Amino acid sequence: MAAGGAAVTAGALARLAAGDFRDRVRRPAYAVTLLAAVGLGCLAVPPADGHWVILAVGRYRGEYNSAYVGLATALAGALWLTVGGFYVVRKGIGRDEETRVGQVLAATPLRSSGYLLAKFLSNLLVLGSMLGVLALTAVAMQLVRGEDRAVDPVALSTPFLVTALPLLAATAAAAVLFETLPLLRGGAGNVVWFFVALAVTIGGQSPGAAFGGLGVAQAAGSLRAALGVTGDVGDGEFSLGLTRVDTPLVPFRWAGAGLDGGFLLQRLLLVLLATAVAVLPAFWFGRFDPARGGPPAGANAEPSGAAALPAPVPATVALPRTAPAFGATFGRLLAGEVRILLGGVSRWWWLVTGGLTLAGLTVPLDDVTGVVLPALWVWPVLLWSRLGSQAAEHDLDVLLAAYPARRRRLLAEWASGVVLTAVTGAAPCIRLAVAGDGPGLAAWTAGALFVPSLALALGVLSRTHRVFQALYLPLCYLVVNQVAALDFMGAVRTAGHPAGPGPLLVAAAALALLAAAFLAAAARREVRR
Amino acid sequence: MLELIDITKVYKGGKRAVDGLSLELGPGLLGLLGPNGAGKSSLMRIVATVTRPTAGRLRYRGADPLAQPDLLRRELGYLPQDFGVYPNLTSREFLGYLAAAKGLSARSARARIEELLALVNLTEAVKRPLGAYSGGMLRRVGIAQALLADPQVLVVDEPTAGLDPEERVRFRNLLSELAATRVVLLSTHIVPDVESVAADLALVAGGRLLRRGTPEQLTGELAGRVWELLVDPAAVTAVQGRYPVSRMVRTADGVRLRVLADRAPSGDAVPVAPDLEDAYLAIVRPAAGPLGGPLGGPLGGPFTGPGAEGAPWQPAVRR
Repeated sequence: MAAGGAAVTAGALARLAAGDFRDRVRRPAYAVTLLAAVGLGCLAVPPADGHWVILAVGRYRGEYNSAYVGLATALAGALWLTVGGFYVVRKGIGRDEETRVGQVLAATPLRSSGYLLAKFLSNLLVLGSMLGVLALTAVAMQLVRGEDRAVDPVALSTPFLVTALPLLAATAAAAVLFETLPLLRGGAGNVVWFFVALAVTIGGQSPGAAFGGLGVAQAAGSLRAALGVTGDVGDGEFSLGLTRVDTPLVPFRWAGAGLDGGFLLQRLLLVLLATAVAVLPAFWFGRFDPARGGPPAGANAEPSGAAALPAPVPATVALPRTAPAFGATFGRLLAGEVRILLGGVSRWWWLVTGGLTLAGLTVPLDDVTGVVLPALWVWPVLLWSRLGSQAAEHDLDVLLAAYPARRRRLLAEWASGVVLTAVTGAAPCIRLAVAGDGPGLAAWTAGALFVPSLALALGVLSRTHRVFQALYLPLCYLVVNQVAALDFMGAVRTAGHPAGPGPLLVAAAALALLAAAFLAAAARREVRR
Repeated sequence: MLELIDITKVYKGGKRAVDGLSLELGPGLLGLLGPNGAGKSSLMRIVATVTRPTAGRLRYRGADPLAQPDLLRRELGYLPQDFGVYPNLTSREFLGYLAAAKGLSARSARARIEELLALVNLTEAVKRPLGAYSGGMLRRVGIAQALLADPQVLVVDEPTAGLDPEERVRFRNLLSELAATRVVLLSTHIVPDVESVAADLALVAGGRLLRRGTPEQLTGELAGRVWELLVDPAAVTAVQGRYPVSRMVRTADGVRLRVLADRAPSGDAVPVAPDLEDAYLAIVRPAAGPLGGPLGGPLGGPFTGPGAEGAPWQPAVRR
């Protein structure tokens, strides 16, 4: 992968991308993402008497023909795959680093730009395959809903190809870009992307959005025009996103938006820009050289000369003289788990935690519960996400499997998460106690149990830190946006009292998640056998 | 002390990694020798209670570790072939965590960790995070963790991978010392790693136990059937096609080959004393399948090697 190496041919590029794609689709996580795509497709075409919608024009929706089902599903896919697809495809380069395949490729004449382009194409293939499944689901949903069973492949697939696919190209390119930037290649990149994607999906719905944005403006114009023909423009506000409606939407006939040359050109430019963004890191990409960009990521990588010790001199060996004695260990297990959880945390992290804690002790109580507590319980997301997944991600599974007391270790791991949650949320807890806010304190306690339980369960089930990061951030976003039904910490208040689910319910959910973690760990061990 | 009875492991997809293998282990070092894919690591994981066998039984001090693994786990030291570490912990912190997992009391753990760090020569590196360790240093951390609770059963899988020659010597000495009173099961495909420490060898291939015996027993059966001869470079391929060749050295006069054959392969062939590599090749190669040609051939007449009927090695234990 020399910077000045041989130019990569289209065939070689395709083989590289296809090889990478094959490796990814053979992972169990890929099947889960496809299932999620099917679920999204079902959600995008709700039953005629349903009370949830993803796409609406005021109190109207299009009749479920190919054009409308394609549009609704493609827009839903564009919206959610832009945000979540990033988490599915990132780590393509990181995996090559961990498996040392990257070093093998680096010793070939393949250029960095060719490698990055292949990674981009592989990302796009993964996301595109999810979009393909969405399209197939759309066909099935059109037939299932049965309002118009005449399937028009062109009308159905056009929104996928023109509206959604270019956005996924941008997501695929962003995943490559983030992986080549030291500050964004880790968990911080996951958090940054969440907010970037949020801004893109909100801003991308405005009529003046660059490159046609999400494609909403064009679709909305066409839908409104069709609705106008029916003689009732009503309160035709266009809405995209999972929303609850009191009364089922009224269908109207929409035959599709047609192809707009200007819009097509903007989408083409978006794809070209995405390609350029994916290749741009060739200017600084380290090509898996451990001597560039600090110590290598892999724990087993050879160190710099300074880290190596002189080889031991052959000599007679002196076995340890202290006889082993056995005793109580849970405290030390917990201390060890806390060390593992907090390992490598920078001073900046503690500084921000300290600042937020200070704010929690000084600002008015309403702001403490509504702003500071959510902030304090979002800030450690990267640390919580280590729960349940760290041993697998660091290849410690086999070693630890030969150690006794597996359940006690898992309990200690969970307890370390509770400690982290309690410590970061200490200031709001103190304020609630001082104010005598019993319900708030109960909600806080339930939240302190819920967060590490969720992290542990997702970590054990998925064996990766990314699932928790991908789910927890949107959950907190919804809490901050006053969605009371999901408030697990007591941040949403009505008349000064927590408006979310009761603390007993949240605590029960926490215990259920903890039980799921224990069961999943036991089941995984059986499966591995 | 530790008994493996008719152990079979079949993985998903039908891959039979271990096939009805039985072993009795007492204090001392048993070297498990076999080619890659012979089932050694699967067997080691089964003994270490990491993997449950598809069939067969395991007995340790009269108990069943498959039903109650914690008894064996407390007295077990296991060094897997590949393992990771928590990169942000120091070696002392990592070993402290594992000592707690093992159930060691705080005082005992502290003392043993310091002694073990000195034993594996890592005392000077204890303040560095494990992420900055070399492969060899991590291997030494692995050795230290395996010895944390003074194990009565030590299972080490390809332990010398990543160690330099001096470290290998030191580690072999350590294993010899430990084997005086403990069960040590050492798996490797590198013959020199076991020939200097193991008085008891088990040769496995295709998931089966082919032979078990002392190095002297295994090599003794090849007496008079190992030859050295000098051949023209152009003839090397032909010789390889007819005999197992255990060594090949290119010299100014030609290529010096060490071959296995019942009779002298040529007039100028000189009989030499067999070593463990010759025995390994003779036993494992027929079981693993042809690599470069048939055993025996017209140059030396029919080879009635170790795989043949009536071979006098100690037969594999099968139940």
